[in-house]
Amino acid sequence: MKIILINIIIFTSALFAQDYLQRQYNHADNMFQNGLYYDAITEYKRLQFFDFEKKYSDEINYKIGLCYKHGAKFNEAIKYFAAAESEAVKIDDIYEIKTQIIRTNILRRTTDRAHQLLNNLEADPAYRDKLNDIIFWRGWNYMFADDWDKAAEAFAEIDPNHPLKILAEEVNKKQYSVTFTKFISYILPGSGEIYTGNYLPGLLSLSWNILWGYLTLDAFTHDRLFDGFAVGSLLWMRFYRGSAQNAEKFAIRENIKIANNTLRYIQNNYEGLKP
Amino acid sequence: MLNNKIKSAYIISAKALARFSRMIFIAAILITNISSSIIAQVTEEVNLFSPVNRLKFGNHLFCNKDYLRAIDEYREYLKFSNNDTARFKFALSLAAIGRATEALDNYKGLFFSSIFSEQARMEFYKVNFLMEDYQKFRSLCTMQSYLPEKHKSEIVRLNFFTYLIDDIYLPDSAEFINSFDAEDKSEVADFYLRKKYPPYKSTVKAAILSAIIPGAGKIYTEDYAEGITAFIATGVLSFIAYNNFTNNHKLRGTLFAGLAVLSYAGNIYGSAASAQIYNAGIRFNFESEVKLYLNKKNYFIPVHNFLCN
Amino acid sequence: MKYLFIIIITANILCAQTDWVKWEAAEPSYEIPVSQERNFRVDNSTIGSLIITGATKIYHIMVSDVDGDNCPFYPSCSEFFVEGVKSTNLFQGGLMFIDRFTRDINFFKSRNKYPLHVSGKLYDPVVNYTLKFHNITYIPHDHIVK
Repeated sequence: MKIILINIIIFTSALFAQDYLQRQYNHADNMFQNGLYYDAITEYKRLQFFDFEKKYSDEINYKIGLCYKHGAKFNEAIKYFAAAESEAVKIDDIYEIKTQIIRTNILRRTTDRAHQLLNNLEADPAYRDKLNDIIFWRGWNYMFADDWDKAAEAFAEIDPNHPLKILAEEVNKKQYSVTFTKFISYILPGSGEIYTGNYLPGLLSLSWNILWGYLTLDAFTHDRLFDGFAVGSLLWMRFYRGSAQNAEKFAIRENIKIANNTLRYIQNNYEGLKP
Repeated sequence: MLNNKIKSAYIISAKALARFSRMIFIAAILITNISSSIIAQVTEEVNLFSPVNRLKFGNHLFCNKDYLRAIDEYREYLKFSNNDTARFKFALSLAAIGRATEALDNYKGLFFSSIFSEQARMEFYKVNFLMEDYQKFRSLCTMQSYLPEKHKSEIVRLNFFTYLIDDIYLPDSAEFINSFDAEDKSEVADFYLRKKYPPYKSTVKAAILSAIIPGAGKIYTEDYAEGITAFIATGVLSFIAYNNFTNNHKLRGTLFAGLAVLSYAGNIYGSAASAQIYNAGIRFNFESEVKLYLNKKNYFIPVHNFLCN
Repeated sequence: MKYLFIIIITANILCAQTDWVKWEAAEPSYEIPVSQERNFRVDNSTIGSLIITGATKIYHIMVSDVDGDNCPFYPSCSEFFVEGVKSTNLFQGGLMFIDRFTRDINFFKSRNKYPLHVSGKLYDPVVNYTLKFHNITYIPHDHIVK
């Protein structure tokens, strides 16, 4: 009995002498799971410093990148993801890291860069089987770049009834055509502003243009050329250009409002994967 | 009888076998457990949070400029050991991230009986200088117990530089310039002269010039395009007023004359303001150059390269 | 291998400054950032300020918001006038406004004279024109003002 007891004691002590690096890794992971990202980075860096054999190297850089991403420090996150990517060996790990870089670029709103990276990923034959996933992030990228038409197309490729496709199509339908709004304002000053729902500025614009236009023509018809030029160039032209400029400004502003409503909805209510 | 003997022999041998196998079993377990314990010991049970390891990690963070994290590690280490190097790096980290008061307290802790006494005193003065309370800095320079023994002249130089940035009388030029090394004297002399005789433009002169010729004041303050514009604007308005008066359009004439007068008055005011902005630019550029020079010279303090080799 | 070394060292140095203040988890908003709209309020603390700010507000609605984006400066000329009158007096504010208007019509306005504001306009605050030298905050032209 005594001997069995002694054996149990020695056995359990041997059991707890597990790898201290693994314990540190678990500790850092614990901080990460609990949302203490700054402290998690400290612990990952501590592990990195004492990991002389570089057993955890690629994982640590990836995890640190994720911590920075969760803290909205996107520049730093991308740098650590890049470091992790250069050390990763398995295809799946490399893909996961590349996707995180793309997602971070989307959140950072550097959508051109994300677009370029997505193109590279799509062209790479090693990731043929991940095409739907790549298109999914392309759709997100288009949404952040305010290109709802292309976003709807992208999501439709995955699934014609994809919830994000339906939302993107709705936004695309509601948004105003900026070119059209500007064009009608050149033809009839104030019409663009009224078209985008800004009635008072539209009516004021129209009234001023009528007033200055009348005074200019009146001056010219009564041979008061200097007055005609002065009123025409300093006042009439100013309000005429202003009308088109306003129409464009209002159209863009309304479009951003429409887009932001949907983006806010998606951020708060969409259940699927987000950047 | 033979059967009984065979039976008892069998029983004895079975018992012996059982005892023997039990011994083997116990021995086997003992050997496995002890050897795995030994292996566990040989593979080093390392405490990453031990004071020594905290110090090592802290030094690594310090050399990578990750100062806030280094501060935490040093603080924990210093609870166990009053290591001067660690305290000095701790103070340097605090100073680097702008926690001046804590840095100063830690530097003071190294003033006496420490191998970093000289460096700590110099860094103490540097941090005080960077706090931009130059009057307080000058009073600290009079405290002999704080001054470094071998590098007093460096602090004297820093003290003189406060006069260049502060709005206060300048000391004697010879005393000022002679405190510096031969290689620095010409630059310091230049700063001294520019502080004593800044190339300011007179606001009164700018206003008077614009009163004589509209726009002239702005040309004097090097706002050439604005000066010409003001001249043209006042000129055109005056001409239109005159034109209207000679053509008997009294109302229009009065209107444009009024506008011309306003333009004229506004330009006089604007010229004075322009001179002030010009002077503010001179002052700003001078101070920036002085600060850049100090940064280049590391505030006359030797650089601590030995800390991160 | 050399690349990796460079990446890690660069990452370490650049990340360092971000971590000089402890930060918390943060979720960035998906919404497209919107530039600030004009936030001009009528100030009814005194009769004088009520008249001036009221008149300026009417001018904004009737004219300024309709004739397009003509002022290259921040704050706009009408806001400059109101702020100038508030910080000094009507006479001095008026002179400041005339000077501002002259600078506005200057076709060759130097980009080297004014720093840039985040809205894309040239930063030209009232405080630099009150003839109080020590209140002037000189900002070099290559800085961007928030």
